[in-house]
Amino acid sequence: MADVILNVKNLDISFKTSAGMVHAIRGIDFDLERGETVAIVGESGSGKSVTMKAAMGILAKNAVVNSGQIDFTYTNEDGELGTVDILEKDKKWLRKHINGKRIAMVFQDPMTSLDPTMNIGKQLVEGILLHTKLSKDLAYMKAVSLLKEVGIEDAEKRMKQYPHQLSGGMRQRVVIAIALSCDPNLLICDEPTTALDVTIQAKIIELIKKVQKERGISVIYITHDLGVVAKVADYVNVMYAGKIIEKGLTNEVFYDPKHPYTWGLLSAMPDLETDDDRLYTIPGSPPNLLHEVKGDAFSPRNRFALEIDDIEEPPMFQITKNHFAATWLLDPRAPKVEMPTELRERLDRMKKEASKYDSEL
Amino acid sequence: MKKYILKRVLTSILTLLAIVLVLFILMHLMPGSPFNDEKLSDDQRTVLYAKYGLDQPIVIQFGRYVVNMLRGDFGVSYNISKNTPISQLIQSRLPISINIGFFAVALGAIVGLILGLIAALKRDTVLDTICTIISVIGVSVPSYVFALALSYNLGFKWKVFPMLYNTADALNSSIMPSVALSMFTMATIARFTRSEMIEVLGSEYMLFAESKGLTSSQIIIKHALRNALIPIITVLAPLVVDLMTGSLVVEKIFAIPGVGSLLVNAIQSNDYNVVIALSFIYSALYIFVMLVVDILYGIIDPRIRLGKEGD
Amino acid sequence: MDAYFVLKKQNEDINIDSNYASQSFWKEVRHRFFHKKSAVVGLIFIILIVFFAIVGPGMTEYDYSTQELTQKNFAPRVPGLENLGILDGTETLSTTTGSKEINQYEAGGHDDLYYWFGSDMYGRDLWTRCWSGARVSLIIAVAAALIDMIIGMSYGLISGFFGGAVDMVMQRLLEIWNGIPRLVIVTLLLLILRPGMITIIFALMLTEWVGMSRIARAEMLKLKEQEFVLASRTLGAGSFFIIFKEVLPNIIGPIITQVMFSIPTAIFTEAFLSFVGLGIPVPQCSLGSLISDGYDSFTTHPYQIIPPIIIMALLMLSFNLLGDGLREAFDPKMKEM
Repeated sequence: MADVILNVKNLDISFKTSAGMVHAIRGIDFDLERGETVAIVGESGSGKSVTMKAAMGILAKNAVVNSGQIDFTYTNEDGELGTVDILEKDKKWLRKHINGKRIAMVFQDPMTSLDPTMNIGKQLVEGILLHTKLSKDLAYMKAVSLLKEVGIEDAEKRMKQYPHQLSGGMRQRVVIAIALSCDPNLLICDEPTTALDVTIQAKIIELIKKVQKERGISVIYITHDLGVVAKVADYVNVMYAGKIIEKGLTNEVFYDPKHPYTWGLLSAMPDLETDDDRLYTIPGSPPNLLHEVKGDAFSPRNRFALEIDDIEEPPMFQITKNHFAATWLLDPRAPKVEMPTELRERLDRMKKEASKYDSEL
Repeated sequence: MKKYILKRVLTSILTLLAIVLVLFILMHLMPGSPFNDEKLSDDQRTVLYAKYGLDQPIVIQFGRYVVNMLRGDFGVSYNISKNTPISQLIQSRLPISINIGFFAVALGAIVGLILGLIAALKRDTVLDTICTIISVIGVSVPSYVFALALSYNLGFKWKVFPMLYNTADALNSSIMPSVALSMFTMATIARFTRSEMIEVLGSEYMLFAESKGLTSSQIIIKHALRNALIPIITVLAPLVVDLMTGSLVVEKIFAIPGVGSLLVNAIQSNDYNVVIALSFIYSALYIFVMLVVDILYGIIDPRIRLGKEGD
Repeated sequence: MDAYFVLKKQNEDINIDSNYASQSFWKEVRHRFFHKKSAVVGLIFIILIVFFAIVGPGMTEYDYSTQELTQKNFAPRVPGLENLGILDGTETLSTTTGSKEINQYEAGGHDDLYYWFGSDMYGRDLWTRCWSGARVSLIIAVAAALIDMIIGMSYGLISGFFGGAVDMVMQRLLEIWNGIPRLVIVTLLLLILRPGMITIIFALMLTEWVGMSRIARAEMLKLKEQEFVLASRTLGAGSFFIIFKEVLPNIIGPIITQVMFSIPTAIFTEAFLSFVGLGIPVPQCSLGSLISDGYDSFTTHPYQIIPPIIIMALLMLSFNLLGDGLREAFDPKMKEM
């Protein structure tokens, strides 16, 4: 346990909206070890981003934390290892000690996450000056070397340019450079590739993997793209309607998913070899969290729903040491339901391809 | 950037020419103008025609007209002040109007910015509601109603400021008209600032800046203000038009010897020459302000200044 | 408990979207609109003013143009309220010898007369004149706004839909037109045309359509690339069919909102024109001409200018509030999470 750097316990968050309280996060637990990569997967509105904003202390003003703890372990200025509960600290303390310095975040859309009226250099140097005691010149030099590190050519020239003068992929590299500028221990990537072209997506993921390896930092990926997850993550948490409904090692969740929702997500992945018509997709849309959910939130969309799903919420069933899933289908009393055969075939094929790929390396 | 400025200058010149063309046509159509006054004798007409070159082809006539307008030679007044050159009439009046207008814009912009920023930063609080109410009233109530209210209470009843404009006491006399005129500018800028600021505050780069570790006040000063204020320059130009309209009435109410009251007089006494001259001046002023604002905007906003990569 | 561990009978097409589908677009708009109090207040005031503009002039025995020179400058007197000591027909006159209180009704022996808003300098009933003035102002404003809407919308939609060279030329023309101050257009126009209701509507029409066309164009550019338009095009629909049958219904929200904002502008411009002497010809009146008349005697008889000013300010305020409410109802930026 000593190596756990982030530990989220029973996190529960609501938002005050004009329509009423929206119960966005309904009890989340997960942890992250040093140097590890965890992915949080789910549809939009499932609460992935909110969880991470809570960990950064940048929740919107109308958010109400009902309960929970987010323990972050880090080495402080005196070289001592300590743990703080981020939810207990005020914004001022977080800005000074955590944000940018120890936990940094990469946002979804590089078009909108950079200030359009400030040049790249200033935006980079800004963070460095804030958290380090470097002089302006040294901060500038560090900024240039960061740009080079994230693979930007003509770094000196780019420093003077404005976001609109760069391409999307280049901007995301800048955002990553800014996030890395104060050598954080934890990097949170909120859908870092969703807004980019497919060809650039792969490059950005390679870049994140590279810096993670070189710097030995932990990374949390928030994404709805399972393809990305398979490439980068050690662990996967699948979220639905403000809850984690399946979690485990990436291989376990990928090749032996237990929750019907995960089946749906995996089936919905685009794939050349499967006939689309025969694939299982998830009908409908997630529940409106304005109303409290009774039983299993996924039940109304679940083709394999049990009567009990509408009455009581399923607990987390342990499958292997790391693999858990919250579905009544795992209860010994439940009828035996297997994943759709099309998906089974598809996963087997993917597994084979993956092992072939690994052995070739 | 060069291309952008060139384009704006060209549009401005075209617009001005279009206006002069309209005025030129009106000049020929309007009864009682020097060109078709029935009371003129043939000799007078010949002299006049020669003077204005009316015996020349229409294109050359127009060219001369443009040159005259640009040189400030607008002819003479007919009814207001017989045979006085209009340029002379305007000369003493224009600075007074511009002073009051400038003061009104400055006052309105500053107060409006402050109100808008307070409203946006204290969104959904009592302060926000108060600022919103002030700005809604400001856009809804015409400036001359404010002028009348000020004039009746501060000028007539309590005698704090002179009720009518007094050239000897220009500063004190300008306060009430400027305040009355500034209300619309103030309210418009307050509303615009509020919505721009709220949009900027909700943008992702604010969140990203926060995640870098900037405090709320640092984010607002370093990132939000600049982004919210740049677009505000663009509403200034249209506001100048409203100001011109407002100034006509306000100048009448406070008996200010400015161009606005001159235009009102000219309209009421059918002094076409003066109306046309003032129309030209108003248009030229407006076009100039628009041009300056657009170029300024281009300089301040890097997205226009630098263009896209490869442009 | 164990009995519940059986598969639910869910058929192939599970109908899940119940929580969203039940809310139709218009229902939501209505809900959001009525949720905003200021907009509702605006709507109520507009309804009230329109009501009085229709029936108000008929509520008294006077009409708007008959002059009764023996009864000029009477202060407001309202039955019932007069017993409470307010609006009983007395007014305070300041003269060189000091101020004195007079009651024209008693002085002239007109105990049976009631001018609810008072009478003007020609002895005309201000109540009747105010409401018929409000009627004229409203007709002008609404007519102008509707014509603006049609012209501006068509211009913007066509410019946005065809794009390319058409758009370029149309936008340059618009820029030039927009470079001429409204004040200049209106004054020049009214110099050559005879003042009157039609002329004013025409002048307003010429100046106000630009804003509408901008909005229509922006919306068109947004919608043009969407699939339903593409689908319609592949089915062989003509350009004008797509513009007016496919796109128009989808931009009705912003358009209505813009109309609500151009009405107060029109009311204001009309009042301004009356004030500088280019308004409705006498004996007809509008809110603007009433204010202009009242202005001539507003230091001696301030009650004459107050009702038209209040009606106009309320009307403009209400339309602005209504416009704000509609804008938010049609375009909720609910960035609440």
